[in-house]
Amino acid sequence: MNMVTLGSLSQVAAFTAALLAMLLLLLGLARNDLRFIESGRRALAGVALFTSMAAFALLRLFLTDTFQVEYVASYSDRALPLFYKATSFWAGQKGSLLFWAWVLSLYIVLVVFNTRHETRRRNTPYIYLVLASIVGFFLLLLNTVSSPFALLPFTPPDGQGLNPMLQNPGMIFHPPTLFLGYIGFTIPFAYAVAAMISGRLDPDWLRKTRRWNILSWIFLTIGIILGGQWAYVELGWGGFWAWDPVENASFIPWLVSTAFIHTAIIQERRNIMRVWNMTLIVLTFLTCIFGTYLVRSGVLQSVHDFGATGLGGYFLAFMLVTGIGSLILIAESYSQLRTEHSLESLLSRESTFLFNNVILLAIAFSTLFGTVFPLISEMVTGRKLTVGEPFFNQVNTPLFLLLLLLTGLCPLIGWRRASISNLKKNFLLPSSLALAGGLVLFVLGVREFSPLAAFSLATFVSATILLEFAAGARARKRLTGENLLLALPRVLWKLRRRYGGYVVHLGMVLMVIGITGATAFKQEKEATLQQGQAMTIGDYRLRYTGFRSFQDRNRTVYAATLGVTKNGLPAGEMTTERRYYINAKQPTTEVSLRISALEDLYLTMPMIGKNNQITIRAAINPLLVWGWIGGGLMVLGGIMAIIPSRRRRTP
Amino acid sequence: MACPLPLERGVPTQSITTREAMKKNTRKTLLALLMILGGVGFLIIKGISDTGVYYRTVAEVLAEPKLPQQRSVRVSGNVLPGSIDYDQQNLLLSFRVRDMEQEDKTMQVRYQGVRPDAFKEEAEVILEGRFDRTGQTFVAQTLLAKCPSKYESEVQQQ
Repeated sequence: MNMVTLGSLSQVAAFTAALLAMLLLLLGLARNDLRFIESGRRALAGVALFTSMAAFALLRLFLTDTFQVEYVASYSDRALPLFYKATSFWAGQKGSLLFWAWVLSLYIVLVVFNTRHETRRRNTPYIYLVLASIVGFFLLLLNTVSSPFALLPFTPPDGQGLNPMLQNPGMIFHPPTLFLGYIGFTIPFAYAVAAMISGRLDPDWLRKTRRWNILSWIFLTIGIILGGQWAYVELGWGGFWAWDPVENASFIPWLVSTAFIHTAIIQERRNIMRVWNMTLIVLTFLTCIFGTYLVRSGVLQSVHDFGATGLGGYFLAFMLVTGIGSLILIAESYSQLRTEHSLESLLSRESTFLFNNVILLAIAFSTLFGTVFPLISEMVTGRKLTVGEPFFNQVNTPLFLLLLLLTGLCPLIGWRRASISNLKKNFLLPSSLALAGGLVLFVLGVREFSPLAAFSLATFVSATILLEFAAGARARKRLTGENLLLALPRVLWKLRRRYGGYVVHLGMVLMVIGITGATAFKQEKEATLQQGQAMTIGDYRLRYTGFRSFQDRNRTVYAATLGVTKNGLPAGEMTTERRYYINAKQPTTEVSLRISALEDLYLTMPMIGKNNQITIRAAINPLLVWGWIGGGLMVLGGIMAIIPSRRRRTP
Repeated sequence: MACPLPLERGVPTQSITTREAMKKNTRKTLLALLMILGGVGFLIIKGISDTGVYYRTVAEVLAEPKLPQQRSVRVSGNVLPGSIDYDQQNLLLSFRVRDMEQEDKTMQVRYQGVRPDAFKEEAEVILEGRFDRTGQTFVAQTLLAKCPSKYESEVQQQ
């Protein structure tokens, strides 16, 4: 069968199935008839089947070089390696929208399956209804204004190719993991809305969606970190995060969902902060949609944006409807949601969670504010005033430091009400270590406040977490008589939900160390070299030894080799390249990296002149590798926290 | 330390005194929150006044040269053909930038660094920097050259 026909028809069928599901569910609710609900469930499974078929069709079209399809012609060409032909699926706006609808429909099938014994509950049909409307919205866009199966009036001999910067292994994982995260938050949002509509406001929805939340958070975290990694190794400007509008668009939901995950714990344990949590999950979902809006509206300039695609208005309308609808629901259920309980003491673990929330949201707000500030300032004052990286660094650094402090304080303070004497005892060791760490750095010559504070606080937080691990291991040893080395991994595994959280915090500490190192102590140097000449940076001396050029598949490559010595001792060779892709107007630089535990040496070649004279940009990024390791640890801790126990599902 | 508490469901009975204590706590918490919010507001406003950068066209800069002498501004324009002088050995790039609409308005720019790939005659450039002491040459701290093609490419009609 013709893949274009299959794809377009499947899209139509999927949309029809979503509409049908909504209709059946509404009927079932109106007549209180379970048979309609059951049919609605089947229609939702149908949506997944049809979107899968559409996704399959688009993939086939890419693999078979069907350039009559406009989307394929725009993002692929014959010379593109097979691998990247497949990833071109989500290189543009239309394909990524189909990918979105496809993943969401698969998630929905999972929900439909997981709730198979709960269809009689009052809230379940509403969960389905909310999900059906959201997937319906995406399918509507795919069928009307943004179809990846639209044809050109002619068949071009070759496609335009994939942007060379996207021809990187990062392309396989960075966009899909981000999407998996963004999309995942739809499920808890649907549960929350269903809880409010049906009036079943007990913390059941929170417990049921805990894994969805954390899983989506894990995907978002992976996506953000891979994005930073990709920028670092591929884009060649030596950094990993630029506070670009679209980076911010992924960071804001991450912050809000992180806040939500924390206070959800409070609600589960103490049944307080119920209005707050409802608001946070709505905000998480809205900021996810806002991210997709920013990418597709063309209102802001960014390396990521798809240009003005004409979809901005639809997303804006969707956000408004969802936002206002949720606000009304929260207002109506307010009297039932609010609790008599409140914090018992300012000095309690609950209150550290509350303050952590406020700080996280403050960072989210300042990031959002800085992102849309150029628009606001032009609308309000008529003058274009803009803020960039320095703004975000200046505003957010103190907030991050405060957050780090709270991360360390939290495990030291007991639930409900902590006693001062208890606190003093717990405090002594970590704070002395932190002071000692700060003092050592000061003696070594670090004088700026932020790095000093960051490293001291990092010491403080690590100490409190490691003490917590030790206390757990000792308690198990007392109980079971095992030796400590055995007791530690066992207690970590046994109480993995709690210790998983601490592992995430440890990861965050490492990340702070890496980021602080690479920003506060970065060294950069540029130089133009003839063959045989050398430049020095830090302890390194780089001597330009060789130059060659060759043809490689869809690109011409120019490569310069430099012999490296560190403190006079030979330290190998590094080769950095410039690549000219046949379908691209701009050459790309290929970074050469020498990674060690203490520092990265980072080389690019931004220019080649006459007689193979080259310009080299060299940078030393201290400690950065710990940032990536910390990111891995954060993901690992998150996974640890959601692995179910064998005997019974943890609540 | 972190002993697991039983989950609390219903509303426990409270004595008057604890309820009053709670009110006091709520007030203290609110006060602390307000202080944080005030701090954040202060940070944001200070952030903008310290790091905010005005967008200007070349013509606007020439009409009001005081501002770019006091603080950094962002200027966009086109590279004037025939004005590019690049010293690769010392990584010194100088050129004239022309207003995007008023073609007679141009200004001299100096940039220390690597010449970007997209930097060509007529290319649109975005500069960030300020005037040097003479007030004649604009010293760019950052130089962005824009290639005309968008991220979302359009298939050309044949």
